[in-house]
Amino acid sequence: MDPAIRLRGLHKRFGDTIAVADLDLDIAEGEFFSMLGPSGSGKTTVLRIIAGFEQPTSGSVALFGRDVTALAPFARPVNTVFQDYALFPHLSVIANVEYGLRVAGVARKERRAKAEEALASVRLAGFEDRRPHELSGGQRQRVALARAIVLRPQALLLDEPLGALDLKLREQMQVELKELQRSLGITFVFVTHDQDEALTLSDRVAVFDAGRVVQLGTPREVYDHPRNPFIASFVGSSTLLEPDVAERFGLPAIATAVRPERVTLDAPDGGVAGTIAEVIYTGPEHRIVIDLDGVGARITALEPNIGAAQRRSRGDRVTVSIDPAAAAPLESDAPAA
Amino acid sequence: MQLGRVARIVLGAITLVVLALIYLPLGVVFLNSISTSESLSWPPPGFTLEWWGRALHSTGALEALGTSVVVGLIASAIALVLGTLAAMALSRYRFFGKETVNLLIVLPIALPGIVTGIALNNAFRTLMGVDLAMWTLVVAHATFCIVTVYNNAFARLNASGTRLEEASMDLGAGLFTTFRLVTFPHLKSALMAGGLLAFALSFDEIIVTTFTAGTGVTTLPLWILQNMFRPSQAPVVAVIAVILAVVSVIPLAIAQRLTAKDAEAVSR
Repeated sequence: MDPAIRLRGLHKRFGDTIAVADLDLDIAEGEFFSMLGPSGSGKTTVLRIIAGFEQPTSGSVALFGRDVTALAPFARPVNTVFQDYALFPHLSVIANVEYGLRVAGVARKERRAKAEEALASVRLAGFEDRRPHELSGGQRQRVALARAIVLRPQALLLDEPLGALDLKLREQMQVELKELQRSLGITFVFVTHDQDEALTLSDRVAVFDAGRVVQLGTPREVYDHPRNPFIASFVGSSTLLEPDVAERFGLPAIATAVRPERVTLDAPDGGVAGTIAEVIYTGPEHRIVIDLDGVGARITALEPNIGAAQRRSRGDRVTVSIDPAAAAPLESDAPAA
Repeated sequence: MQLGRVARIVLGAITLVVLALIYLPLGVVFLNSISTSESLSWPPPGFTLEWWGRALHSTGALEALGTSVVVGLIASAIALVLGTLAAMALSRYRFFGKETVNLLIVLPIALPGIVTGIALNNAFRTLMGVDLAMWTLVVAHATFCIVTVYNNAFARLNASGTRLEEASMDLGAGLFTTFRLVTFPHLKSALMAGGLLAFALSFDEIIVTTFTAGTGVTTLPLWILQNMFRPSQAPVVAVIAVILAVVSVIPLAIAQRLTAKDAEAVSR
């Protein structure tokens, strides 16, 4: 079966800057797919090329097996939820949601019913006659969602849709987005610079750096086995071990990334000795920075907060060990983080 | 910032002098229009509404008023269509020579009226070989009326960016539907303001008008110029001048309010 979205040899240049470099990507039907990367990494450009707002310098975009590279945005079976929502300020909430149906020539009564249903699905029933500026950020977000899904797109493109919301609301909207995607059963392509969001929501994640996908995989693959130092530090936090330090831990002598929660302190079978340099209390856990003896390197460990019994403090001597299965060897050709 | 007592008094005095220089002559014109002295002697010996009555029954003045209104309306209408199209092109598309085109559109408002007047006069009579008429005057006025519409529309389009238009296209609307349903409603008040300014510009224009109006085409400013030095007409001219001032200022005031209201709406 053809993938929902197939990008081949996609290249985009703005003047002298290369925004997207030779990208090949297949996104499956019904998949929640995230494009994760820092700003300027090309992820939004890829989304805009899929939507049709930008023309690729070279390469092709196919939606469900149909080449749409030359089609205008209004001729593509995808809809977009914009970063700043882009609601029409001169139209009421219901008129915003009806917009796509209206330009498609759907009869007034039918489009009203569909728009009301879409509003109800984002829990905004009763807000029909408000104007966008009378709504809170979270409510505008929902209107933007309703406006896009009311057209039953074959794929929904979301450009950092939660970026403008505060933390509580963002977490709530994450859950709702996931539920919405499941109930609609359509492909979601989600652009974000927030690694938590990408890991929480996605079936698969593409990590972008400098116009390229540097890693593509399930959240677990990307988090547990980052391929290079950039990914290891951008997606979650890691300690990067130089080859000689990795060797001290009994790991292969290549650069390796270790997640702090996979570092064990004072394991029965010993490990590398060190001195605690810093203990940071974060509430649910303690973040412990250890100076390793003899190698001039530091490593960070994470221990759950289980009460006063195992409280550690600066200057304590500990041994540090790493489960070889939890260490991620990095590719040497990768750009430095 | 706190000003010293002396500075405050000096600044206040200067302000008063400047305002007086601007508005006292206007006041004098108004007083002349209701003065009983036909030769505008000062101070006015008494007050009368006779000149207002005469002005309102003066065929020449009324015809001139009509001409000015018609010329202003048609020139503004042309400016609205062309200015909007130009603003759309320059704010939404990238093309070679864009900055130059921008400059060429705005230039007529900076050009000395006498230059525009001579140039258009030559172009109409020598180059095109047509007789000056009402329509040559309308075309001449449209050249500088476009600027106010263009400037207003261009500023609004640039401030709003393309995001709403992108959203519209994303939802399936083509170029014209997007313009009709999204761009135009958003642009409407800027166009109103630009159109009103254009009308006000056209309404009191005299230099370009002198060079491009056909024989027998008399706008209100032209009529004033022609009648100003006829002793018997002096008070009637004052009446017309007051009317001219009011008709020019009202669109300006409305335009300013529209712009201020939108700045508020956009920043919200």
